[in-house]
Amino acid sequence: MNTAVTPAVATPGSRRSWRAVLRTAAEPWLYLSPALIFIMLVMLVPLVIGISYAFQAISLMNPLESGWVGLANFEALYEDRKFWKSLKNTAYWTIASVFFQFFLGLGLALLLNHGFYGRRLVQALVFLPWAVPTFLSALTWAWLFNPVIGPLPHWLAAIGILSEPYNILSDPNIAIWGPIVANIWFGIPFFAITLLAALQSIPHDLYEAAAIDGASAWQGFIKITLPFLAPMIAITVMLRAIWVANFADLIFVMTGGGPANSTQIISTYIFTTAFRKLDFGYASAIAVVLLVLLLIYAAVLLRLRQSLRLVN
Amino acid sequence: MARIDIVDLCKRFGNIEVISNVNLSFEEGEFIVLVGPSGCGKSTLLRMIAGLESITKGDIIMNDQRVNDLPPRDRNIAMVFQSYALYPHMNVERNMGFSMEIKRTPPDTRRQHVDKAAAILGLGSLMERLPKALSGGQRQRVAMGRAIVRDPSAFLFDEPLSNLDAALRVEMRLEIARLHQRLGSTMVYVTHDQVEALTLADRIVVLDHGVVQQVGTPMELYESPANRFVARFIGSPTMNLIEVAMEDQQLTMKSTHSAIPLPALVGAESATQLGIRPEHLEPMPAGKGHVQGEVEVVERLGSDSFVYVQVPGAGRLLSRCNGNTRLQAGEAVGLSLDPAHLHLFDEKGQALR
Repeated sequence: MNTAVTPAVATPGSRRSWRAVLRTAAEPWLYLSPALIFIMLVMLVPLVIGISYAFQAISLMNPLESGWVGLANFEALYEDRKFWKSLKNTAYWTIASVFFQFFLGLGLALLLNHGFYGRRLVQALVFLPWAVPTFLSALTWAWLFNPVIGPLPHWLAAIGILSEPYNILSDPNIAIWGPIVANIWFGIPFFAITLLAALQSIPHDLYEAAAIDGASAWQGFIKITLPFLAPMIAITVMLRAIWVANFADLIFVMTGGGPANSTQIISTYIFTTAFRKLDFGYASAIAVVLLVLLLIYAAVLLRLRQSLRLVN
Repeated sequence: MARIDIVDLCKRFGNIEVISNVNLSFEEGEFIVLVGPSGCGKSTLLRMIAGLESITKGDIIMNDQRVNDLPPRDRNIAMVFQSYALYPHMNVERNMGFSMEIKRTPPDTRRQHVDKAAAILGLGSLMERLPKALSGGQRQRVAMGRAIVRDPSAFLFDEPLSNLDAALRVEMRLEIARLHQRLGSTMVYVTHDQVEALTLADRIVVLDHGVVQQVGTPMELYESPANRFVARFIGSPTMNLIEVAMEDQQLTMKSTHSAIPLPALVGAESATQLGIRPEHLEPMPAGKGHVQGEVEVVERLGSDSFVYVQVPGAGRLLSRCNGNTRLQAGEAVGLSLDPAHLHLFDEKGQALR
């Protein structure tokens, strides 16, 4: 019945109702507009400008040759051995750092999950690296690796890893391990704190049930602890990988990307290109590549997370 | 099947003794219920049998083998937890077959055993479900299925029904009784609910403050409780207690010195309390019976009525009588005590017989 009546009534007022519809649709946007404008100003505009730089020649050293250059920056990037090297270094730095951060953090979390005398004190100490400014930790670690004032080279030489106590930060073959070690030290608390929280959420009677079902401690770990930790492990490892890939402070302070670019990662390369060589166009091009890589990574991450959620 | 002997067992947490000098023997195939108020040590005792709790002193012996130092998995026992403790990331089938998965039993055999247990418990259609997709009763069944699959020599139950609603509890209680009849295994069952204890047990062990108060069949405990604690704990509604004293060879109410005209009772000289169950207290017309009082409240439950009678000197006494009693609140009434079912307790609370 309604279908027969509605068109007859609606026709004369249709223009007016259309306007009313528009108004109700626009109303929430009006209320949101201050926040939206603010976000556009501080995030979208710089992003667009930054990306546009990637297609321009903007170098303070060469102020006369500025202007749109199309894909020239990217072509140069493709030919740039330094870029490929830093890309490789980024992968190496990220994988090595996250790998050790994760396994040492997991070990620490398992240890802290058991009660022992003085656990609270140890727990507090474990999280100390977070309280130290990155800049200070980087300097301290650089000094620790310095054979003149630091003990590490002497210890490493004593156990036979180094032929003689020299500064590994000056050896292009192994210099990247300096910042990696510092980064491991810096990143363990993150994994320890998140994994400890996840561990403490596992009901204790599951382990008792497993013990009665005949499981050894190791089987309990494999069959109960790991499945419970899996979602947390996936998320923390993924997120941490992004942070570490972007994390330039330690490397910049400890080695400045040297010697001979052996510790140059993408983010330090962007920084030096932009603020040492003052070539903003080229730096933006590298940044755009990094952005695309991380976007792909994030997309994979989200997809993986979704499938994990389905499993659970 | 297992015979379990517990010898001089003690458990201390720091300075607090939660189990003191417990001596018990469970026969093969017996259904034993450990019952007591919360904090009485019954769960701790069960967990010590399971091997989840260390033993401070004494021995636990299963089939003539001392198991004190054996880990849970070598004791060949199965346990059903109050929280069910199902593995939330495994489906019903894997949950039930977990013990065989651990032993690396071939999947075919595992499947066979799981299917058999599932058939007993009617879980066949739920095998692919995760625990979170099950109701409380179904989870309870899976937890029992997990125990059955192990084919243990003893089943341990730790308050398995306390997370279920009343109707389901009755149903699962039957299920457990049926399971015991079918499997004939030794079962040790912990509960704080005396109804579960009375209905399920071959023998009941009543615990209080880590001390065994009495061991016996449900009717033994009901008819001749060893002390005031057991008398009050077993039976619902609880036993009436009247403070008494012996005056001139006559049992009298302590506060009012009025006599209770009962025939001579064994041990009455040292009695300080007289206990009588509500069903052995019969309302009479006023002036008749052993004591006189006034009806305070009548609760009609259909099959029975609970009549609360205020008796000067004895306080409020409960009489359980016929469902269609005509008594009304405020009415004067006499109460007759059945002399064959009286319980006398001395000042330490021990029963006098």
